[in-house]
Amino acid sequence: MPAVDLEAPEQRTSDAVLEIIDVSVRFGGINAVSDVNLTVMPGEITGLIGPNGAGKTTTFNVITGLQEPTNGRVFIGGREVSHLPPYRRARLGIARTFQRLEVFGSLTVFENILAAAEFHKSWSEDQTPPRRVAAEIIDRVGLQRVGNARVDALPTGIARLVELGRALATRPRLLLLDEVGSGLNQDETDALGDLMLDLVRDGTAILLVEHDVELVMRVCTRIYVLDFGRIIAQGTPAEIQKDPAVQAAYLGSDEV
Amino acid sequence: MTAFEGFLITGLVTGCIYALIAMGLVVTYTTTGIFNFSHGAIAMFSAYTFWELWQNWHLNVVLSMFLVLVVLAPLFGLFIEMALMRPLRGAPVDLTVVVTLGLLLALVGIANSVWSPTVSRVLPQLDNGNGFRVGQVLVSYHELITVLALIVAGVGLRLLFTQSRLGIAMRAVVDNPDLLAMAGGRPVRVQQLSWMLSTSLAALGGMLLAPIQELNILNLTLLVVDGYAAAIIGRLRNLPAAVGGAIVIAVGQSMALGYLPSSGFLTRVQAIIPMIVLFIVLIVLPQDRLRTASFAAAVAPRVASLKSSIGVGIAVVIGSFIVSTQLGSANLKWGADGFATALELLSLVLLTGYGGMVSLCTLSFVGLGAFAMSHAGGTSGNPIGLIAAVGLAGAVGALVALPTLRLRGLYLALATFSFATVMDLAVFTQILGTGGNIAVARVHIPGVPTKSDQAFFMVCCVTFVLCAIGVLALRRGSFGRRLVATNDSPAACATLGVNVNVTKLITFTLAAGMAGLAGALLGAVPGQVDANDFAALGSLVVLLLARVGGINTATGALLGAATFTGFQIAQPHLAAHDLTRHIAQLQYTLTGLAAISVGRDPNGFGGRIVRLLDRFKPAESFQTAPAVRAAPAEDGTVGSVFFQEEEELAHAGR
Repeated sequence: MPAVDLEAPEQRTSDAVLEIIDVSVRFGGINAVSDVNLTVMPGEITGLIGPNGAGKTTTFNVITGLQEPTNGRVFIGGREVSHLPPYRRARLGIARTFQRLEVFGSLTVFENILAAAEFHKSWSEDQTPPRRVAAEIIDRVGLQRVGNARVDALPTGIARLVELGRALATRPRLLLLDEVGSGLNQDETDALGDLMLDLVRDGTAILLVEHDVELVMRVCTRIYVLDFGRIIAQGTPAEIQKDPAVQAAYLGSDEV
Repeated sequence: MTAFEGFLITGLVTGCIYALIAMGLVVTYTTTGIFNFSHGAIAMFSAYTFWELWQNWHLNVVLSMFLVLVVLAPLFGLFIEMALMRPLRGAPVDLTVVVTLGLLLALVGIANSVWSPTVSRVLPQLDNGNGFRVGQVLVSYHELITVLALIVAGVGLRLLFTQSRLGIAMRAVVDNPDLLAMAGGRPVRVQQLSWMLSTSLAALGGMLLAPIQELNILNLTLLVVDGYAAAIIGRLRNLPAAVGGAIVIAVGQSMALGYLPSSGFLTRVQAIIPMIVLFIVLIVLPQDRLRTASFAAAVAPRVASLKSSIGVGIAVVIGSFIVSTQLGSANLKWGADGFATALELLSLVLLTGYGGMVSLCTLSFVGLGAFAMSHAGGTSGNPIGLIAAVGLAGAVGALVALPTLRLRGLYLALATFSFATVMDLAVFTQILGTGGNIAVARVHIPGVPTKSDQAFFMVCCVTFVLCAIGVLALRRGSFGRRLVATNDSPAACATLGVNVNVTKLITFTLAAGMAGLAGALLGAVPGQVDANDFAALGSLVVLLLARVGGINTATGALLGAATFTGFQIAQPHLAAHDLTRHIAQLQYTLTGLAAISVGRDPNGFGGRIVRLLDRFKPAESFQTAPAVRAAPAEDGTVGSVFFQEEEELAHAGR
């Protein structure tokens, strides 16, 4: 770890929106994440799947700066961010949702998204009026009915959509979605998939953690599979479905 | 060398008592997750009960000790768990702080009523201070018993936590009571036992400490705060570290007492050593990473609109003016005092109510405000004094905030409390003295006759109303959303590009400045102040009043202040009925009891009134927001699919 710390931030010349290199996180004696390498390319949805406790959320926390890795480096848009605090990484264009909800519970749905748009206006060059941004996102995600409801009074599935809307309000280049579809049924998940594909068409890259295998297979260009903190497979949806290690570890041979 | 050994032994013995107290704190914290601010008050109350049984009822000393340690203290612990703590499970930290502080205040109030502080009482050392010689130093049996008590308690707790099923269950219960319940454990029983054990340890500490120090309600309650510092050294979890810390602190204090000059500023050092240790340890200790959202937060009442807050403000000013024409000088002063106190509480509405930061040092900023007004305002009440008050308090607020910003919840509360104590014991006694002779002039606004009591009453009223309108406007605006968001989920804010610390720094500075302004007005009501007006305990009362009134509404600030002022006005009238002694303490007792009750209604009176008024308003429908258009029936967005299905389900259900 010291060897990495002493090096100056590096500039990489790849096109990747996000690159993480050799990231490990140890909690006490447990390796939550071990030597994970992962790349997200622009214009793509990249899937990150694996059983519960495989280290997916920890990886998200490392990327966004909420968790300091024991080892490893993180690059956003070619720029090393390993030592930047979370808010400075966000300002480089990453936004996320949380598996365990992190909504602003005492604000309304509209205020949640408005607040995020105001934050964005305060640090970016984009000076679009926050109210307009928030109204657009409410429409896009379909939260009109609950615009004035306090978020802590809403069902979890809808609160997740509020988090999605809030993340979109910062107009991210890279969106990290942590099980945003859980709590939604088939039709809702389909609509969510459409929205993601839409976002990617507009130029947002997505890193998707999701339990709904069908959704992942449908929208992702590339998939990484985590198990016990290690990447055990990567490839296109077709390749992943055929991979015997993945079937054994996660999918279960019947499910695919 | 004899002197040195003497100081060393005194330090070690006192350290053992601090350690017993720290152990009690650690026991409840590790098993219930609640830091008990009233721990010291329990120790004090137990010492007095011991005195009552032994010295007043002339019971046998061993029997008295047995009754306090094994019967009364555990029963009280059981009562605390059942009546006060159980409703707090899963409550936000600031609520647990307020409830335990309420218990502290109530115990102090009750003790003052039962054992009048004007009568001097002596609690003798065990075996009347007899002892034996070790070399040239006399060691009393009381001191020996103290050391043995610590050893027995330490070994006992160690065995309990590591060897017994119950102890392991005690450690498991704080992490996940539900899981423990599923595994066949009984979390409630375990928590009851830990409260009983903890109160017993507090009682033991109090009974051993009182004969060495003195039997004094306030001193005993606050002296054991020194045990808090020790508990924090053990990060509230590590017993050996807490014991070691306690002994180091007490020996350091004893040496400071022995070897620092006995006059001038340095005499204060001994008293503030534990506080400085507490402050430094809090700042240095590594913190958990950004707290994530707690869903247990109370549902805050609606924020008044600009129109209605200005309307109510004007009504308050006009109403106050009409009332003021009927009031005599004394009541006008009480009224001015009330509005200035309301301004104090309003600073906590901003800081704690909206921002979720628990501050126990409000009176430190109030005192700085009074100090600035007395110097910059001169004898004529130059308005520059008000600006200086806001500036000085705000600047010191920012300085305190910088190192403590990363602290959260309980740790912030403790750090601000240690700051308040240092200000109280070391700074205010120096700059304000204790003679009540620092003059604070009433502000003079050129062109307005502000010298009369009525005019000053109106100045306080208008200042409060303007600040309240300002605070509400701030809350409704962009900064308010940012502040509330930072409180709801700091982690989410950070990942949305917000530098959370800047938001907190601005808020803390604003609140400190507002408290300073309150101080400039408050000090001018009697016209002179001294250090006693800004005692650390007073800051606790301020937080409790804000909570009782309602910490997230401006109305609540006014109600909290009105409650307090009401007590003070009632006091002389009741004195005529020879109830003085009891009433004098009644305000503390009642404030404490009311604070305890907020465990059940976190929004206080203010929140209740706002909710009551809401009933008379037409229900707001979700679709009425101007910025949010009605949803097209089927636009294929995720949300619309969701709601369409909800509707179909509801339809089918019908």
